[in-house]
Amino acid sequence: MNELEFLTWTRGPGLDIAVGIFLLGVLWRLIEIYTLGRKKDLAAPRHAAGASGLHTVFRRSLPPPGMLKRSPVSYIGGYIFHIGLAIIVFLGAPHILLIQNLVGLSWPSLPSQFIGLTAVVTMAAMVVMLADRINKPVKRFLSTFEDWFTWAVTFLPVLTGWMATQHLLLPYTQMLALHILSAEILLVVLPFSKLFHGFTLFGSRWYNGRVNAHKGVPV
Amino acid sequence: MQGPLIDTLARRGVTRRTFLKYCATLASMMALPPTAGRAMAEAMAAARRPSVIWLPFQECTGCTESITRSHSPTIEGMIFDMISLDYQETLMAAAGHQAEEALHAAMQDNAGKYLLIVDGSIPLGQDGAYSCIGGRSNVDILKEAAQGAAAVIAVGSCASFGGIPKANPNPTGAVSVSDLVKDKPIVNIPGCPPIPVVMTGVLAHYLTFGSLPELDDKGRPKSFFGETIHDRCYRRPFYDQGKFAKTFDDEGARQGWCLFELGCKGPVTHNACATVKWNGGTSWPVESGHGCLGCSEPDFWDGGGFYKALSAPADPLKFAAAAAVVGAGAGVAVSVANRVKKSAAKATHETTTLADLEK
Amino acid sequence: MSLDSIPIHVVPPGEPGLTGNAPPLLRELLEMVRRLLETGEPSAIDLSALPLTPADLDWLRDKLGAGEISVTLQANGESTLNETACPGVWWVTHHNEQGAVTSQFIEVAFVPDLVKAHPQDVEIGSGYLELLVSDL
Repeated sequence: MNELEFLTWTRGPGLDIAVGIFLLGVLWRLIEIYTLGRKKDLAAPRHAAGASGLHTVFRRSLPPPGMLKRSPVSYIGGYIFHIGLAIIVFLGAPHILLIQNLVGLSWPSLPSQFIGLTAVVTMAAMVVMLADRINKPVKRFLSTFEDWFTWAVTFLPVLTGWMATQHLLLPYTQMLALHILSAEILLVVLPFSKLFHGFTLFGSRWYNGRVNAHKGVPV
Repeated sequence: MQGPLIDTLARRGVTRRTFLKYCATLASMMALPPTAGRAMAEAMAAARRPSVIWLPFQECTGCTESITRSHSPTIEGMIFDMISLDYQETLMAAAGHQAEEALHAAMQDNAGKYLLIVDGSIPLGQDGAYSCIGGRSNVDILKEAAQGAAAVIAVGSCASFGGIPKANPNPTGAVSVSDLVKDKPIVNIPGCPPIPVVMTGVLAHYLTFGSLPELDDKGRPKSFFGETIHDRCYRRPFYDQGKFAKTFDDEGARQGWCLFELGCKGPVTHNACATVKWNGGTSWPVESGHGCLGCSEPDFWDGGGFYKALSAPADPLKFAAAAAVVGAGAGVAVSVANRVKKSAAKATHETTTLADLEK
Repeated sequence: MSLDSIPIHVVPPGEPGLTGNAPPLLRELLEMVRRLLETGEPSAIDLSALPLTPADLDWLRDKLGAGEISVTLQANGESTLNETACPGVWWVTHHNEQGAVTSQFIEVAFVPDLVKAHPQDVEIGSGYLELLVSDL
């Protein structure tokens, strides 16, 4: 397989397969999770200020009192790389072009220099968080293969995309093909790993908030 | 035509200095040291004419046209006088059995020494019946002719990589020369059509040094196919500045900006168009405002559309809807199974009393 | 239809400046000139094989200057062989019939080979002269 065939495969059949598996997995898991249902709480609902699903959705985006000091890397690094990823994926011009090509929607993009800078900051945050995970005995003990694997699967598309636009190491087209391939691996892995939190996050926060609000506890 | 090439050229009004100048430029294009131009001129001027057999298979004669009619009268064309072209269906006067006899005579007289030029792909479907000459299939003819050849030169993308006959769904089962001939040195000169000077360069190299030029991993002469169109494109600075034509008639197109977003395959295409150009150096596709099609790369017909940017998805998602339906189906099926399990559990549920616990 | 009616105006993307690839060529030329003096061996630098921008070439041409001799050769397009201010260093440019530069060299030689007449050609010339003489 030469570089053109490789790129053609990643743009064509590879993308088809990855998006197919992604959609299949996401719909399957969302339907499965949300049709499970929960037993109705028959107790009389209590009321407390700040106790509701919506409150919890927002509250859990902020660190609980004191936690920011205890593990600053997890919180600050976590914020940086999540926001960074969102900026790169949804505001990078080539990504918007891709989405426009696939579904016809488009919106304004940010300058590519800014996206490049964001990618560097995002990667730095991810590397610091990985180092922290390795260095802290408790975090290391709690880490499973899935944690290391999903870190790599998330990191690679950022790295290859940045290297492709900066023309590092490999010719642009080869790096582009690797970037597309790594993003496709991410699409395939996402529905079946902890990365699915991108879809379930707010739902489960709402659920937890709701259950506890019924008991009059703001969580 | 007998005697050294220089006399032949002189008869046609090509002076020695013109020839020297041509060889200097040819050596420069082939990235040979500057002194090679002189060596080339001397060797070629006095060369003994090698026998060349040219076999046309599944082809359109565009390659022959490119070389023989490129820009008359070219030295490229005249270089053909320095070879003894013993069989070339398009150009030879003989026809029918006479032509076949010429072919066999050349193969016998020069066994082990002749150069075999092939243009066109070779169909293998239906035992090769899709393309026959004189009642024999192309694959038979190629195998026989390759046996006695010193080297094989595959001219054009069809002979080099299968080309358009091999394009999906490849109805004739077309293959390239290198798919069939394994025990001979093969030079691929792809392009649709190939650049004439590449052909001359390979012949000149063979006559001067008695060997084939250095080849890349796809069997192409490195000196002509070593760099991509993109690397040497005069519009490259626009690419680096992020200035792209979005349509063929917008402001960007008029300003001569990069054609990447209009599907230019320059970044993945190895060829010399950007430096050698076409029609005697007049222009080349990108200069005339159209992106590179990638014609010198394998399977360029199936490269995902000529007008789609290399970074855009090649095909609209084919399985997406089906996958979504299957996914939703799987989700519903699993949730039904879960419900059944739950209600089964509920049905078998027995109330535990205090008495049970005390047992 | 004239080409002017096609509304395409190619705007040059700003000439890239000096790359710093030209100065080392002067050292190489010095070596080559010394070799020419010691052994009489001519040599050449293929300018189209080097990553030189137009600005680099201008810089080089400017440094080498113009000498006394310029030879123009009409052979399948014009070629110019100009001696630079350093005798023995020649700036050789080959054009095709359309006037585009096909290759460019700096040759170090007492006289570039292309200028010298080849003995075989001289022989033909002598034959022609003999013919002229016999007609007298």
